[in-house]
Amino acid sequence: MAVVAAAAGWLLRLRAAGAEGHWRRLPGAGLARGFLHPAATVEDAAQRRQVAHFTFQPDPEPREYGQTQKMNLFQSVTSALDNSLAKDPTAVIFGEDVAFGGVFRCTVGLRDKYGKDRVFNTPLCEQGIVGFGIGIAVTGATAIAEIQFADYIFPAFDQIVNEAAKYRYRSGDLFNCGSLTIRSPWGCVGHGALYHSQSPEAFFAHCPGIKVVIPRSPFQAKGLLLSCIEDKNPCIFFEPKILYRAAAEEVPIEPYNIPLSQAEVIQEGSDVTLVAWGTQVHVIREVASMAKEKLGVSCEVIDLRTIIPWDVDTICKSVIKTGRLLISHEAPLTGGFASEISSTVQKLCRIEDYPFYKRGKQTKKSKLLGQAQWLTPVIPALWEAEEECFLNLEAPISRVCGYDTPFPHIFEPFYIPDKWKCYDALRKMINY
Amino acid sequence: MAVAIAAARVWRLNRGLSQAALLLLRQPGARGLARSHPPRQQQQFSSLDDKPQFPGASAEFIDKLEFIQPNVISGIPIYRVMDRQGQIINPSEDPHLPKEKVLKLYKSMTLLNTMDRILYESQRQGRISFYMTNYGEEGTHVGSAAALDNTDLVFGQYREAGVLMYRDYPLELFMAQCYGNISDLGKGRQMPVHYGCKERHFVTISSPLATQIPQAVGAAYAAKRANANRVVICYFGEGAASEGDAHAGFNFAATLECPIIFFCRNNGYAISTPTSEQYRGDGIAARGPGYGIMSIRVDGNDVFAVYNATKEARRRAVAENQPFLIEAMTYRIGHHSTSDDSSAYRSVDEVNYWDKQDHPISRLRHYLLSQGWWDEKQEKAWRKQSRRKVMEAFEQAERKPKPNPNLLFSDVYQEMPAQLRKQQESLARHLQTYGEHYPLDHFDK
Repeated sequence: MAVVAAAAGWLLRLRAAGAEGHWRRLPGAGLARGFLHPAATVEDAAQRRQVAHFTFQPDPEPREYGQTQKMNLFQSVTSALDNSLAKDPTAVIFGEDVAFGGVFRCTVGLRDKYGKDRVFNTPLCEQGIVGFGIGIAVTGATAIAEIQFADYIFPAFDQIVNEAAKYRYRSGDLFNCGSLTIRSPWGCVGHGALYHSQSPEAFFAHCPGIKVVIPRSPFQAKGLLLSCIEDKNPCIFFEPKILYRAAAEEVPIEPYNIPLSQAEVIQEGSDVTLVAWGTQVHVIREVASMAKEKLGVSCEVIDLRTIIPWDVDTICKSVIKTGRLLISHEAPLTGGFASEISSTVQKLCRIEDYPFYKRGKQTKKSKLLGQAQWLTPVIPALWEAEEECFLNLEAPISRVCGYDTPFPHIFEPFYIPDKWKCYDALRKMINY
Repeated sequence: MAVAIAAARVWRLNRGLSQAALLLLRQPGARGLARSHPPRQQQQFSSLDDKPQFPGASAEFIDKLEFIQPNVISGIPIYRVMDRQGQIINPSEDPHLPKEKVLKLYKSMTLLNTMDRILYESQRQGRISFYMTNYGEEGTHVGSAAALDNTDLVFGQYREAGVLMYRDYPLELFMAQCYGNISDLGKGRQMPVHYGCKERHFVTISSPLATQIPQAVGAAYAAKRANANRVVICYFGEGAASEGDAHAGFNFAATLECPIIFFCRNNGYAISTPTSEQYRGDGIAARGPGYGIMSIRVDGNDVFAVYNATKEARRRAVAENQPFLIEAMTYRIGHHSTSDDSSAYRSVDEVNYWDKQDHPISRLRHYLLSQGWWDEKQEKAWRKQSRRKVMEAFEQAERKPKPNPNLLFSDVYQEMPAQLRKQQESLARHLQTYGEHYPLDHFDK
């Protein structure tokens, strides 16, 4: 038996080797490879397929929430769900395949721990999953629904937009489904193509009544997910699937909250503001280092975190300081959320003569207006009125996004807004 | 080796026996479909038995090629208690409801009818923007509502005002919602007839059809977990039953074992679309068994039949944690809404037949008369009284102002986001300058 198995294995290996060898001998194969990868060998090409377009940068170990443990993104999600089910006896988790632990292992162990009436599979029907979740939430119980991929959330679009988002408003606050949270894997993963890579946040940004939240890391994910679950409004929590394993850092074991609708300035700077969310935050972080190194430019890097309602103030304050804004997301350019940010910022930060607002670098215009060079603190009350905020934008706002195509498979390295495209856009803004 | 083989043979035999035992336990339901309690577990796998081993179905092999013929000529029979003249057919099916309860049923239906006439007229006169009547379907509302507990949660579609009427929702609040005045608990946000009442456990109506069906299932699941001894009832029309949400709701209710009553009002039309263009099978009741759901078809114009079916469904749904499907056959006597003129797609004769020959209100009145619980004098007095009540509420509703325009902005979220507050302030500033072009006089200051 063993001898037969060994022989079979040897034959298979031999066949594989033969196939490779056959390919090498094909006329033109070498030239084609040479065109695309000048110095490539077969091994290099295979490795290149697996290299991510970003490097995950963990945040420093959090100290204020007690004991921590190294967790990757899916484990931090499990931890948040574990905390929620422990704290809230009405909380239930449901969706396709969540019972055995989920296709991304986010719910491993929870059914055994909390019971099959609290962690259970549903039939394969996204409109049913979300509708069912709304119904649970209407009774006041906590519903945590999983949509297996954000790409499949569209059958539930009617339930989310026409029902969940409008429940409180249309009933005059007699009824609501605030205790509903929808979790879904999101974003590019290297090989996901059209239907395992989408970032649909822009579709939902246009829908008042729901919140859309996207974390960049395990620590952020747990705190934001717990806030979503406890928030009294229906929330959609998109989890960057490429980070499920690739991102690992110290995460507190106990529950903690990260506030919604608050962007985070993860790196301060003075020359240009970079805004992104999810995986793309790590891309722009790297772009910030490249800019510092190659151009001597100081970047302020902001993770938006909540897409709606979004933190207009933090972005605007930053752009007032730097005068330049670059927004980047994987989702297609047209109608992507960068367009909303761009439009709002250019309106609130338009040219206006207002002596309380100054900027780091002096421009001709500000000189003419007799303004000083250094920063003064923004006076909060003045933010309230539309007319009183101003900025002289040094350059048009830049958006570095996916192309207006469906998300391709083999062309993913060309499609995504990688650090080189962001760097190039940044360079052009600086030289504007 | 030989010992092992022998042991394996014995083991297989034992498992074969337990398989047989399992098959015996499965009681075939109506139409030969097995209903398994508890839910199917992974069967012991034995590839040497000549029985189907497929996880997907519990059935025998057949060696004759035969398609199942859907039976639409002789469909699921229609349960009724009274004949068209309001006489009990089978005394053992008479629910023997006390006089007060039957009078309440009658008065709810007739008061609803009166309110419908007046509000339909008020739309025609431009006083309210829109209205939907319930003519012909009053029996489905009150018959089912009477069979429920007051705390049972109701998810409706839009033609179930009689359920609220039976639960004593005041005329003032019906009118307030239609007029969108300051008394409207919905704060003037929705079109008329989109009622909701937290106190009476009636979830606010929304326009998209069938969206309430999976929601009702979720609510039922939560009620089951809470050991609330509550049922959820979900109303929808035969048209809405074509929506994907209906399929989703049925399937979820069955697989997740939810205490829910699906109540389908099959009134013959979805706006202008007759049932022959809505489905080709035997109505909605025949779909239930396809999902593993206990199902029944009833005469929706027979209040007692509706009552009996709902009562029994409620009892069993809560006791057994399983869904029930009731298809109440009825007829939509009125137009779909004030935006519809149904003479464009059906004959006046057809409508008149139902209005005159088979109406839930007249059938119940005949019953009341035959019981000696009602007479012509009381009928006249009640018609006058109910009309007066409706007119009073109507006139009051007309006079009240609309809510403050600030209520345009609240309740989008539980807390108002900063950017929305800015928009609210910008409207306030706009009105300071351009207010004369807006109907501010009708709105609360």
